[in-house]
Amino acid sequence: MQLDLKTIEALAPDQASLGAAAKLTKRSNWPRLETNEQLGLIWGECQGSGANPYRVAFDARDHGYKCTCPSRKFPCKHILGLMWIGATAPASFDRVDQTPEWVNDWLGRRRKPGQPPTPAPASAESKSIDEALRPEQSAAVEDAAAAERREAAQRKRAEDTRSAVSAALDELDQWVADQLRLGLAGFVDASSERCRRIAARLVDLKATALAGRIDELPAKLMALRSEERPDAAIRELGKLVLLAKAWRAAPDDAELKRLVSTSETRDQMLANPDALQVESDWEVLGEKIETRRDGLVSHATWLLDLKSPIPRFAVLLDFFPASAGRRSGAFAPGDRFKARLVFYPSRIPLRALVAERLGDASPGNWPDFAPNAAGDPLAAYAAFQDGAPWLSDCPILLPAGAIALDEKDGAWWQAANDSHGIALPVAGSVNHTLLGLDLTVTAALWNGARLELLASQSSIGRLNLS
Amino acid sequence: MNELEQAGLARLRDNWISGGAAFELAPAEWKEFAAASSSDEQERRLLAIAAQALDVALRPAAPKTLKRRPPLPMLALPMLPDWLRPLLRAVLKYAADARLKTRVATLVASRGFVLHPMDWMPAASDQESPDIYAPWVDWQAGADGDRQSRRGQLTAETWDDFYPAARRTALVELRRTMPVLARTLIETKGASEPAEVRLALVELMRFGLSADDIPFLKSLSADRSGKVRETAGRLLARLGERSDPADGASKDPIAELAAFIEEGKSGFIRRRTTYTPIKPKSPAQQSRRADLFASCYFGDLIAQFGKTEPDFIGAWQFGVDEGADLFLVRMIAVSGSDAAVACLADLLVAAGGRLALLVLQLMSRLDNGRKRVLIRQILDDGQNLAALNLVEGAEAGWLEWSDLARSKTLPALRSAVSGDNDVMKRSAEQYLETLGFLANPEAAEKLIDEVIAAGLSPASPSLGLLRLNAALAGNPSQSDR
Repeated sequence: MQLDLKTIEALAPDQASLGAAAKLTKRSNWPRLETNEQLGLIWGECQGSGANPYRVAFDARDHGYKCTCPSRKFPCKHILGLMWIGATAPASFDRVDQTPEWVNDWLGRRRKPGQPPTPAPASAESKSIDEALRPEQSAAVEDAAAAERREAAQRKRAEDTRSAVSAALDELDQWVADQLRLGLAGFVDASSERCRRIAARLVDLKATALAGRIDELPAKLMALRSEERPDAAIRELGKLVLLAKAWRAAPDDAELKRLVSTSETRDQMLANPDALQVESDWEVLGEKIETRRDGLVSHATWLLDLKSPIPRFAVLLDFFPASAGRRSGAFAPGDRFKARLVFYPSRIPLRALVAERLGDASPGNWPDFAPNAAGDPLAAYAAFQDGAPWLSDCPILLPAGAIALDEKDGAWWQAANDSHGIALPVAGSVNHTLLGLDLTVTAALWNGARLELLASQSSIGRLNLS
Repeated sequence: MNELEQAGLARLRDNWISGGAAFELAPAEWKEFAAASSSDEQERRLLAIAAQALDVALRPAAPKTLKRRPPLPMLALPMLPDWLRPLLRAVLKYAADARLKTRVATLVASRGFVLHPMDWMPAASDQESPDIYAPWVDWQAGADGDRQSRRGQLTAETWDDFYPAARRTALVELRRTMPVLARTLIETKGASEPAEVRLALVELMRFGLSADDIPFLKSLSADRSGKVRETAGRLLARLGERSDPADGASKDPIAELAAFIEEGKSGFIRRRTTYTPIKPKSPAQQSRRADLFASCYFGDLIAQFGKTEPDFIGAWQFGVDEGADLFLVRMIAVSGSDAAVACLADLLVAAGGRLALLVLQLMSRLDNGRKRVLIRQILDDGQNLAALNLVEGAEAGWLEWSDLARSKTLPALRSAVSGDNDVMKRSAEQYLETLGFLANPEAAEKLIDEVIAAGLSPASPSLGLLRLNAALAGNPSQSDR
């Protein structure tokens, strides 16, 4: 396989991309690097700023490339980084005969595979590998006064943000009271417009995360039957009131800040000594991909800890602009891997980042988790609501059961031994084959109104349901 | 949550839906918690409590009439191993329609596996899927799984335990092994079935058809359903029975059809009879001729000329009028004897070229050996590979590498995948998919290597079925065991 730095220089869209790629050439950024020399392919997984690693592939025969990152630069720094390692340290790649499914998918979708490489267009901007390799000039040593000024400015900014968010929550409170006064029947009918208006106001006042949540409220209501919508509105608005109150009581609380304004960066998370870290075997239960009204796509990958004595879940959450097109995730439902996850500090730790991939885990059934004492499938949800009543989606493991249909062909999960007379309505439609299968364990998300199925164990093995 | 709280929550809910202050309607304990200086704040606090009550304390009320489906029946073969399922799903995704997906299931079944029901399920109306899936076809159609699992062999007593797809499979098997028993069942049980079911049952008589069936088939001439009478008549014609002239018919249709065929002689030394279609003089005549070929039986036609089936077929001048050739072949497919069908198929395959493709009209009557011969002929010729997709009921996984290596198809495929013509490349990819179904594992493996060496991307989805075929190498096709 012929790869040289001149090619990388020619393909790079600008000098900044080359500089960023140079920083990605450390082996530690790449949990997986593989090559199929016969086909002239290299690929890898690069731990970028998202929760999921990015999948990067490069075809040396025609200089075709693919990366799952949301960058609008083509090729992105991850592709350049992969090529760079390919050119300078080819021994870093494990040689394999089989290409993974996602690489095959990409190759299969390419319009003209196997074409000779097209020469990169000459860019007006000069780019240089040497320049990218030059160490960055160290910042001038800051004097004490300047450092104090910077810190004071930071404090001022934090103070301003806090005041703005506080004002945002005052407006939210007033808005909630207005909706109650005007009637929830009208709110449900006009929720799209009303939520849009308050969400825009919250964005102005720096309560960005809260704005995103309120923007999604109409879609949540519309997914329910009309007779269920007022109750759902009460639940959602009540959660907003609780969240606002909790933030006022502890504005520096990391979880509440994340839910109201902005989230920590990946680097901040990795540097946080208090963040819970769990090294274990994980199975990808399923994915939940939603296009939001603010133009972002949220991509949630739900994981199950296979070594925990009680059910422990994690969610890798990534956001990217819908305009960036459809992206495939790094993991497919059913995948198993060993990894160290870092959990965002939270009362119920769920959201996490993959800090370190440690290889693949062996396939098999889910472990037999200790059943909860009450035998109540929703006991985990009650505990979840006790800890974080402002959250909605709670991952649960349901005992043996089956899917049944009501008179309107709505699907319900029903417990096999039905000791609590419990049946939970399932979101959306289900594959009708599922109606004839006995589910021994089911992993799902429960939001108080609907069950979103992720995966099941059954008499015929694991079922992907997301 | 106690009853008082539930009643209070219902009042709050009703009030908030219509709008206005609800504090006074709240349960006493909630009011204590929610008391505040401003009325808005009181309402918000109550809202937070109500939200939690709805979330945790109230469970969704399950409808009283939740319908469970009977358990999906277990099939007699094991499921495809998990490690092959991603490849299988890619193959199914690439297969453009239900027929091609069924073909994938047929190949996998020929290697001793069934597909995972979440990957593929036959439709309730499916009659093309391998017999092994009959319990799933019936399950899709609403069959009761318990009834299916307790049934044994098909007899008059167990008739009702079988749902249509399973019954059809059992009857076909019975017609092959114990045709008299199967006929008795069709005769006794079919009489009370509706016309649509009767027709389906009588159509099954074509399996293992023999002269013993003539009395029963003749008895069907009094059936209430015209379609049943017609089907029985065709089956009788295949057995050499002449049809009765239509009562009151103004004109004998056989004589009318014969008038479209010219009897002649050819050869100088050894004179032999020829039958040449006469070109119709008008569209109306053309249409009438087509109708006559479709409605008359072959046995009646040859009787009109006083010939035997092989003699007439041998004397027919193929190639003079392609339309007439097609009508005649279809006529023989419908009402010719098994011997006539075999004779015609052999003659057409030997002729090769476009005439060989007429054998496609005989598919439902051909034995597997002759189907293989036709497929080899199409491959050898390499000109009409699209016809491969029209070979109905072809067996899976038998084509050997030597069949391909000596054919004109292989160089044609190599040239198509290495060239720049996108249309030819796409066609070649479709043929590869078809060959993925027909080839044995060794041929599949070698064909993959050949086309990749010729320039096809190794990741081309058109190679999926070939790869699946090769991956099932440890399980040779049942037909080749």
